[in-house]
Amino acid sequence: MSSKRKISLSEDELVLALRNREKVAIEALYDMYSSSLYGVISRIIVDTASAEDVLQETFVKIWHSFSGYSAEKGRLFTWMVNIARNLSIDKLRSKDFKNQNKNQELENNVTLVDEQMNTAYKPELMGIKELVGTLKPEQKSILELVYFKGYTHVEAADELGIPLGTIKTRLRMGIQQLRKHFN
Amino acid sequence: MEDLKAYIESGILELYVLGDVTPEERLQVEMMASKHPVIKAELDEIERSMQLFAEDNAVEPPEHLRDRVLGSILTNLADDRTFDRKPVEPQGRVVALPSAKSNNFYKYAFAACLALLLASIVALISVYSRLQQSNIELATLQTDKQHFANTVNLLDEQLQVFRDSSFRFIKLQGTPHAPSAVITIAWSPSKQKVLIDMASVRMPVNDKDHQYQLWALVKGKPVDLGVFDKEPDSTNMKEMKSIASADHFAVTLEPRGGSVSPNMDQMMVIGKF
Repeated sequence: MSSKRKISLSEDELVLALRNREKVAIEALYDMYSSSLYGVISRIIVDTASAEDVLQETFVKIWHSFSGYSAEKGRLFTWMVNIARNLSIDKLRSKDFKNQNKNQELENNVTLVDEQMNTAYKPELMGIKELVGTLKPEQKSILELVYFKGYTHVEAADELGIPLGTIKTRLRMGIQQLRKHFN
Repeated sequence: MEDLKAYIESGILELYVLGDVTPEERLQVEMMASKHPVIKAELDEIERSMQLFAEDNAVEPPEHLRDRVLGSILTNLADDRTFDRKPVEPQGRVVALPSAKSNNFYKYAFAACLALLLASIVALISVYSRLQQSNIELATLQTDKQHFANTVNLLDEQLQVFRDSSFRFIKLQGTPHAPSAVITIAWSPSKQKVLIDMASVRMPVNDKDHQYQLWALVKGKPVDLGVFDKEPDSTNMKEMKSIASADHFAVTLEPRGGSVSPNMDQMMVIGKF
């Protein structure tokens, strides 16, 4: 399987091919983005089988609702990662998943996610990379919660016991740091 | 510019990229981005860094998952091609054709009706004018017919005079006063009828102040039988007053309307029975 050639296209070519419902488009899409998306999904849903299901659902949804994507409104990846994150959260909150995980009390998802994280069986996946010297710990924790765990900033503020304004500021500063880092 | 800076620093753009905004906020950000290139550029930068951040934190999914995911989509793709397009096409047809057809049909039908109406009005006017003309002609013909019928009746009546053996024809000859004058009258004593054959009247045309008057002389006394005019084209038999017996007939020129007793100086013709 690893010998399989990975397909890669420019974002414009990819969007065009997806619009034309070409088979090669969905293959390229998977090869180019499955690991980035799975990085987000598997941090929200710890159970591997469920995370795999969500990855599959994510690609099916991307494929079927592609007409809803507009390049003018942003990057393809931004659109896709939000689909992946929303499907992950939906899965986490779904009845099936609750039963499956035998979690009796799910009133507070924030607590649930936290617990799952603490008892995760793949701890190396759970934390985001250090990006040494880039992010201050408080920025890192907020980005981790919002970007990789699917918290809303309101939930994050609640979770961390920090005012909303501070959450916004730290989020912005964290992303500013990332921009500097990637430049 | 200050406003834009404050907007950028509010952190709303980051939340937008993270999908953590209300629908209203989303619309607002999209509107701002389409209006202000600065905002658009800022959004691009945030998106780019978040994508790189995700790539840095990527987790490779299990290899078997690729076939499963692509398989499920490509199965659906086949389904899409089988079921997705076909139902769409007939639906499009069903909706598009009748509406287009009916629109055109009523449009053309209306135009046709209008054209037909105009043609009908023109035809009606022309037919009506022809009918009027025909009516006039018919009236003329009827008048003519009446005239001919009258003429025929009259001639028939006059012909009877010649057939009737009781009629006697008397030629009144010109007097010395008018030697060339001649007139023929028909008289039936039994029917007491006197007629003048106008065609045979050879007398000067009378002026409008005078008329000829026919007299019968009964035992020497003149009896008025009526007046007549000499007209150049009259050909009929003119019936005069009736008389049962007479010795002579004479015509005098009298003032219009006739006189009670004849003006003997103006006697034109005289004839004896």
